[in-house]
Amino acid sequence: MARVVLENICKSFGSVDIMKGISLTVEDGEFCVFVGPSGCGKSTLLRMISGLETVSSGRILIDGEDVTYAEPSRRGIAMVFQSYALYPHLTVRENIGFGLSLARRPKAEIEERVGKIAETLQLSHLLDRKPKALSGGQRQRVAIGRAIIRDPKVFLFDEPLSNLDAALRSQMRVELTDLHAKLKATMIYVTHDQVEAMTMADKIVVLNGGRIEQVGAPMTLYNEPASPFVAGFIGSPKMNLYDGDAAAREGCMVYGIRPEHISLSATDGKWRGTVRHIERLGADLIAHLTVDGLGDLVARCPGDTPMVIGETLFASPVAGKEHKFERGAIG
Amino acid sequence: MSRTKSPYPYWFILPAAVIFTVLFLVPTLASFWFSLTRWDLFSVEFIGIENYRQFFREPFLIQGLFNTVIYAVTTSAAKTVLGLLLAVLLTSGLWGQGFLRTVMFFPVLVSTIGVGITFTVLMHPTRGIINVALAAIGIHGPGWLTDPTLALYSVVLVDVWKGIGLATVIYIAGLASISPEYYEAARIDGATRTQLFFRVTVPLVKPATVTVVTLSLIGGLRSFDLIWAMTRGGPGFSSDVLASVIYKQYQAGFYGLSTAGNVILFALIAVIILPLTLWFNRKEVEL
Repeated sequence: MARVVLENICKSFGSVDIMKGISLTVEDGEFCVFVGPSGCGKSTLLRMISGLETVSSGRILIDGEDVTYAEPSRRGIAMVFQSYALYPHLTVRENIGFGLSLARRPKAEIEERVGKIAETLQLSHLLDRKPKALSGGQRQRVAIGRAIIRDPKVFLFDEPLSNLDAALRSQMRVELTDLHAKLKATMIYVTHDQVEAMTMADKIVVLNGGRIEQVGAPMTLYNEPASPFVAGFIGSPKMNLYDGDAAAREGCMVYGIRPEHISLSATDGKWRGTVRHIERLGADLIAHLTVDGLGDLVARCPGDTPMVIGETLFASPVAGKEHKFERGAIG
Repeated sequence: MSRTKSPYPYWFILPAAVIFTVLFLVPTLASFWFSLTRWDLFSVEFIGIENYRQFFREPFLIQGLFNTVIYAVTTSAAKTVLGLLLAVLLTSGLWGQGFLRTVMFFPVLVSTIGVGITFTVLMHPTRGIINVALAAIGIHGPGWLTDPTLALYSVVLVDVWKGIGLATVIYIAGLASISPEYYEAARIDGATRTQLFFRVTVPLVKPATVTVVTLSLIGGLRSFDLIWAMTRGGPGFSSDVLASVIYKQYQAGFYGLSTAGNVILFALIAVIILPLTLWFNRKEVEL
């Protein structure tokens, strides 16, 4: 397994700069997640690491070796694509062993390694099926199997769960995390889903507009966001962010408070508001209030909190949980 | 609760069914009947399978049958292989590929008879530009259309030139439907360019191959106009195909024999195309 180092990576398409001086180290065995909104450059960055996209300037080192201009197959990486890229004319067995058959490895060796991987991924009973006869989760596992068989230094995942339904996505998150624990491999994972990032990552890299906004452990990003963008992106429901007069009253440029860090009361509190909308999620209740002098405010309360639309409530931030930013703008 | 099937939707099929019956089914069945007769405009005499016996007794008719198969297979194979290679070239980001695609498709739009006449002139043994050009570099050009061993293949060459544009366009559409991720995954797995072509492109472009092979084979088996315009089946019967033989028999007044030839052509197409289509459909990939 290997350490991945990106040194001042830039990428331009014509006169348009897509990536602007990205420097980052992904440690050996780390599960690193690139997260950000659509068009922030996270997939482009992953593709540059894989060698499928060229680098305009900067260096990429994998396991200490400069692979900036190396062919994808010479970088010691394996990639799982969003669409899985399973060959429809090949069986599961042939798909998993595809890389080895390209390298003209002996049939017995391919058979043995495919068998072992299929066992690990619980695919043994599906080896003779074609991809169209598999469920989304099974296809996902075949794609992972095809990556594992190459015995790569680094695994790259490009939004691999985005085609799955919510239940399967949740299951696959657990399976991928287990797989990482078992393989102890360096993994770089791209997603736009902050829940995936928070639940799976050792390290999250938040990207925005071709730049790194912040790098850190999931809870570091949650508790100490470096910018209003990160504050708004990490956490669900997203943080309440205010600028202008509302922020100025709090003595900052941008003021933020997470929905789960707001206490509601029927009698008194810092802000007075009217309940506009209620989302009952079972264990939790998400209340949308219209607050005087603040605007919209979202609060998370226990699921059994009595509340009706149109009711007047008072909201107060939990002490020590407010976020005051001296720079940046609400994204 | 059981629902009775309403006949209402079937009324919508009726116009197409009537047209199909009158223009296809009746003439096909009628030709089966007339192939068993000696007929002209005023009389019909049932003679059983005598027309078929005669057809397979005549060496030039059998040569026409063989030539048809050779013509169909060679034109189809050439259009399939060259069409795929050209489509790969014309989707590779080549400079001016939009213009080249138009140029490639242009012969498809030209009249077959016009192409036939033009190439007859170009392939003239002494005055044709092809042999004149060959002579300029010291090569004695063959009698493209006058040499009995070469005439059929000269027409094949022209047919391929004229038809390859359509095959290329079908392949370009087929290549465009292959997700780039298949190639990227193969590149990461270490595939060479040759492996990308044979292990990714060829299998995944199969739906287009099915279309090209089927269309070009049927076209080749039915081919008449280009052969007639260039050689009229000659020299002798060396470039005769079933369609030109049928035409000649019809011209000579052997209506029953020419109808039997039509039935044989129909059967030949069915015998080749039906199993091929079934085989292709079983093997077809879903992208």
